[in-house]
Amino acid sequence: MRSRDGSNTLLCRPCTLIFFLVLTLLGSDEYLISYRYVVKDAVLYNENFLLSKAMRKCSGTPQKEITIFNDKHLSLKKLLSDTSGEFIFYLHKLGLDVEHRVIQNNMQNSDTTILTLHTTCFKVDFNEDFVILTPLR
Amino acid sequence: MKNSFFLTALLLSSLAFATDSVESTEIIDMPEATAPTASNVVKNDPLLQENFNIHLSVIGQGVAPMNTTSPAQAFALAKRAAIADGYRLIAEKIKGVKVEGQDTIKNMMVKRSIVRTYVHAMVQNANIVETNFKDGLCEVEMEVTLSYADLAR
Repeated sequence: MRSRDGSNTLLCRPCTLIFFLVLTLLGSDEYLISYRYVVKDAVLYNENFLLSKAMRKCSGTPQKEITIFNDKHLSLKKLLSDTSGEFIFYLHKLGLDVEHRVIQNNMQNSDTTILTLHTTCFKVDFNEDFVILTPLR
Repeated sequence: MKNSFFLTALLLSSLAFATDSVESTEIIDMPEATAPTASNVVKNDPLLQENFNIHLSVIGQGVAPMNTTSPAQAFALAKRAAIADGYRLIAEKIKGVKVEGQDTIKNMMVKRSIVRTYVHAMVQNANIVETNFKDGLCEVEMEVTLSYADLAR
């Protein structure tokens, strides 16, 4: 059987379909993640975790990745929210910017510590039961 | 006449005493201050050298807020604060602290005294070794290993 233009066989069509399907499955999404928390006088004051899908291609060298199990097939936002402890511990290992200032006014101390993960692009690979997040720096 | 004689005697005796005290003073030959050399510098901070690692260990402290809903939440928040304190201590040890002070003195009295300290650093690969939570205070022992190869990269 020949295709409408008569030059290619129909066999090419399933191949093309499979090729694009595999490409879609293997293709990973890129997300931008930032994290920041403020500790004031030894008490946690404010915490911010921001996640957004990257709107343009990220560049950078892949760093040490993290694998998170996702047997319930949750979205990335929900998954990171559920496993926030594990993921935030990983972010600490990745490296945070530390800013600390103390003001002693008439012998009374007041200190503020800010830990920040500046906006970092993560390559996210969704698999059957797990998700691999690889930071690009 | 009697008074002037008395004053002269007093003056002579004081001069004699002064001469005695000068004679009894020993003159010690003080050595000149020498410039610090490699041998006489006190080794305070270890220097990172090739093929050597520096191991830093700190204990960060954090307190749980008053308005927590459960002990677990209190622990989680106190631990987060303790980790931040640990990171701050590591940054202080590695990079140092900028200190700025200002005192206002009026009529020989301190009116206002301000001391500002500031640290800014990037800390990577710090490990939590041990965590203790007791009476609302969380203590986190953290360590980091500095290697020459890591810094040279």
